[in-house]
Amino acid sequence: MKPNTFVLPSVVMAFLLGACAPAAAPTAVPAVPPTAVAPAKPTAVPNTAANTLVYARAIDDAVTMDPAVAYEFSGVVPVSNAYETLVRYEGTDYANVKPSLATKWEIKDNGDTWGLTFTLRDGAKFASGNPVTADDVVYSFQRVIKLKKSPAFLFTDIGGLKVESFSAVNEKTFGITMPKTASAQAFLAVLTFATGSVVDSKLVKANEKDGDSGTAYLQDKSAGSGPYVIESWTKNVDIRLKANAAYTGNKKPSLNSIIIKHVPENTNQLFMLEKGEADIAGNLSSEQLDSLKGKPGTTQLRADSWTLAYIGMNATVKPLDNVKVRQALRYAVDYDGIVNNLLNGKVSKVQGIIPKGLAGYNDNAPFKQDIEKAKGLLKEAGVENGFSMDMSLPSSAAPGGAQWSDIGAKLQSDFKKIGVTINLKPTLEAELLTAYRAQKLQMMGEDWGPDFADPDANGTPFGNYSAKSLAWRNGWDDKESEKLSKDAALETDPAKRVAKYKVLTEYVMNNGPFIILYQPTEGFGLRDNLKGFAFNPLRVIDFSVMSK
Amino acid sequence: MVSRRNSTPYFLRNPLTVIGLAVLGAFALCALLAPVIAPYDPLADELSKRLRPPSPEFWLGSDSLGRDLFSRLVFGARISLFVGVFVVVTAGVFGSLIGVLAGYAGGLVEEALMRVTDVFFAFPSLILAMAIAAALGRSLLNTMIAIAVVTWPVYARLVRGQVLSLREREYVTAARSLGAPTGRIIFKHLLPNSLGPILVNASLDMGGAILAAAGLSFIGFGAAPPTPEWGVMVSEGRQFLVTHLWLPLYPGIAILLVVAAFNLIGDGLRDTLDPQLRGRR
Amino acid sequence: MRFVSYIARRIIGIFGVLLGVSLITFFISHALPADPAAAALSSHASNEQVAQYRRDLGLDRPVVEQYVTYLGGLLRGDFGRSIRTQRPVIDDLRAFLPATVELSLGALLVAVFLGIPLGVLSSLSRNRLPDHFVRLFSLLGGSVPIFFLGLLLISVFYNQLGWFPAGGRIDTFVTPPPHVTGLFVLDSILAGDMDALKSSLHHLILPSFTLGYYSTAVTARMTRSSMLEVLGQDYVRTARAKGLPQRIVVARHALRNALVPIITVVGILFGSLLSGAVLTETVFSWPGLGGYATTSATGVDFPAVMGVTVIAAMLFPVLSMLVDLLYTRLDPRITTS
Repeated sequence: MKPNTFVLPSVVMAFLLGACAPAAAPTAVPAVPPTAVAPAKPTAVPNTAANTLVYARAIDDAVTMDPAVAYEFSGVVPVSNAYETLVRYEGTDYANVKPSLATKWEIKDNGDTWGLTFTLRDGAKFASGNPVTADDVVYSFQRVIKLKKSPAFLFTDIGGLKVESFSAVNEKTFGITMPKTASAQAFLAVLTFATGSVVDSKLVKANEKDGDSGTAYLQDKSAGSGPYVIESWTKNVDIRLKANAAYTGNKKPSLNSIIIKHVPENTNQLFMLEKGEADIAGNLSSEQLDSLKGKPGTTQLRADSWTLAYIGMNATVKPLDNVKVRQALRYAVDYDGIVNNLLNGKVSKVQGIIPKGLAGYNDNAPFKQDIEKAKGLLKEAGVENGFSMDMSLPSSAAPGGAQWSDIGAKLQSDFKKIGVTINLKPTLEAELLTAYRAQKLQMMGEDWGPDFADPDANGTPFGNYSAKSLAWRNGWDDKESEKLSKDAALETDPAKRVAKYKVLTEYVMNNGPFIILYQPTEGFGLRDNLKGFAFNPLRVIDFSVMSK
Repeated sequence: MVSRRNSTPYFLRNPLTVIGLAVLGAFALCALLAPVIAPYDPLADELSKRLRPPSPEFWLGSDSLGRDLFSRLVFGARISLFVGVFVVVTAGVFGSLIGVLAGYAGGLVEEALMRVTDVFFAFPSLILAMAIAAALGRSLLNTMIAIAVVTWPVYARLVRGQVLSLREREYVTAARSLGAPTGRIIFKHLLPNSLGPILVNASLDMGGAILAAAGLSFIGFGAAPPTPEWGVMVSEGRQFLVTHLWLPLYPGIAILLVVAAFNLIGDGLRDTLDPQLRGRR
Repeated sequence: MRFVSYIARRIIGIFGVLLGVSLITFFISHALPADPAAAALSSHASNEQVAQYRRDLGLDRPVVEQYVTYLGGLLRGDFGRSIRTQRPVIDDLRAFLPATVELSLGALLVAVFLGIPLGVLSSLSRNRLPDHFVRLFSLLGGSVPIFFLGLLLISVFYNQLGWFPAGGRIDTFVTPPPHVTGLFVLDSILAGDMDALKSSLHHLILPSFTLGYYSTAVTARMTRSSMLEVLGQDYVRTARAKGLPQRIVVARHALRNALVPIITVVGILFGSLLSGAVLTETVFSWPGLGGYATTSATGVDFPAVMGVTVIAAMLFPVLSMLVDLLYTRLDPRITTS
């Protein structure tokens, strides 16, 4: 047989070369180490450059860098550094909003509406050099409502706002007309969030394509006035920010370049941190954080979080419809075991629906594992022989550094002690949400974080059936709770408001369809030369206050 | 046709095959006698004893819930072996039937069946399995169904090829001319004579199915925790790679060993059933 | 003429596969118990908002109508829009495909340049130590879970020894080469950028080996048995008897003829690399189709999942056609009939 003459010789040549070429070096046994390459790499430098920050975390949740659309952590963090909002929080004071793009504001009672007026900061400029005007604010806020994406409900549902609710009184004065069914104070809290970002309307309008309101343009770059600009977002690779040279605000960014690098495996994040290739590791587990103790050059930080990990019990499902059964289940859980062992004691035992740190937090934690009491309650409810129930859990990590599957297994064995059999059903988040929204789950586990720094961000979802959020999804149609949560939300006197939330939280704690398991902390591994790192419980990280 | 008379001695003459059989036998024993062998309940947590290193109390250490890793591995053998058998039997039977039907019927039926086979053959197996697992929900059974769905086309092709070459052999044409019914010809003549290659492929696919199931579990589409499935255990253990190495290491080694055993047995079978190869191994 | 009709038949076959694959994936996706709109909008959005989003995306229309629309778009090269990000799926595929192709090619090169020499070595030292070593190496390659191998390699070669990076395609502080093919190694050569070339090669090695180990094992075994067969043939024995040096016999006579079955196997392996790529990319943070498929499947973003499936499913018949064509060049006895 005569093989074709031009293909084969080259293949054979290539093969013969291959036999001795170092291209074949990586065998399972360390053969010829290309050590010469490694030290020349910037990766071998003990720390990243002084003006650069590398933040390793999973960023595949990012959908866009557009402030009117972004709602995921990896989108919100860059957005909140690249844009300014009218008002913001400073430090850890989440009770009072402070000036940002707006230097002053007032809330007027217009009879059947609230009137909010904001005066914009003189000399405020976007990174493009365009001045920030009231028209920009109107454009930005209308954009949120028109685009109807994930965060739009903050304006339409919490604020009760429509496209025509916004007006530019003059170049530097911006107004909002708000129905009295909404709380103006709560909406000011909403405005501190990334969704309240003011975009450069001239720049965005110039880059609109096919009436997309500039969503394609803003997808991977910014048009804001914040201390940073978003330079690029390469999907599943990194998000890069650089300091905004034209920044007019009062923060003084010291780090020039921020790289949020996609590292989905937390083991690799840990390695990178230990080797100084990353300054922040964002998704470490409890054990990994603990393993950093005594590792030179690293430190760890547990930041407050307002998230609550909870179990929902569908009150339309027998026998969960019986309040005594729900109470029995609450008494069957070994909270201390979960908090101290499973989560290494790095989370707080909180049992009310409002997290520690928000006004209205109720520190009463009456439940602890009491098998006799739980059995007694089941007997009173007429189900002393126990029952069996499905429990759907996300197939992902639970907040605080444990896995939902581990928490589920723990609950399964706790409930077994009172004769309740749990069938664990780890479910894709998407599937879980779909069934949850349709009231189709029996028991389930999830976490919930408030969207804004106000107790109403939890009071309504957990307490008000008509809001069609968590209470509704668990089929808990309770008029008393609904009345209490509405009443508390619209109370304007701070002291009375706290008292009202105390009543609401107490009521939901003992009657509601929830078992609040714990309030986690957010753990970060850090290089010890990084200064000023802070994680805000509204899930914002401010790069402009960090330095090395 | 292969003479089966002296195949057993030859099969066992290869030391590697014997090793494969021994390893597989050990795992099968674990699977059968799991409750006897395992010192602990694989699902019983003991939070105060979590993450213990290997010791006389926990031979291979304990996991993040204080469950005994060795007991979980032993019970995991049941799952992995069952996955292998289930997938291969389901896919093998279904694929062989399609293949034999296509090969025997010929014409339009053959064309139609083989085009469908082509479609399933073209699928990137893990991605289709991912989609199926997402569609049906996350469970061990669905994982096995998903893997079977991407495995059967191989058997269809293999058997059809065999049938095409056997179809015209004297004994088949003879049977046909004597008026034997189609079903009889298929089950009496065609299938048994295609058995050799099916068997070789099946033993190799057992390992493949176990690897695929573990892979699906690893990316979160396979068996659901707390099932002591080995892939789940590696997946959950990977965040302990630095701090508690035994958690991902031992389940990974278990997968490696059982798949290697199947591969060795498959090689042995191939050598035995294909006399041409004998001299070359 | 016969050649043209052969090609035409193959191309029609490829379209048939495309139709079947898209049909099956589409209906599997729509059997999902999960609502992609609910997934895209998170648990905080209201039910009305989700219903509105479904209407906007046309998810409330009959499934058959949706499929016809989808297929129509597909024939025009339009893969629809991602439900999660609202971006055209084709843009994402274009962004992620080159990384996967580069990784798969890397794995293929490992398989060829490691697998064939090992197979030859094994066949020439039959039943001696190198042969045993190669066979053990092959056995492990056929048995080790790819994700487990990846984890081990990272912890040894990155964490312990520091020889290779943990993941990604290029160093954080090295600028990727200008986009021509999307393959970083090739693009850096085209741009003459040595830093980028060094860095991207360096990043490619561990994942390529992880993904390619299985194929290397298969190739080595195939080469070994293929070589053993050829080495026993008369013309090789004749060549040896004539006193030709061993390496010439091996290179010119034995290997050349052993190559046909090897190419078949390598072609099939290349088509199957994508499944392994899903796992490899997860472990090595490799920004390719595998990670995209996983994220999309998790979020039940089915236009995205379908895009990956269709692309991957096309790859296989196209490759097998190319392999068949390569045969006819290598072995004139095989015709296109």
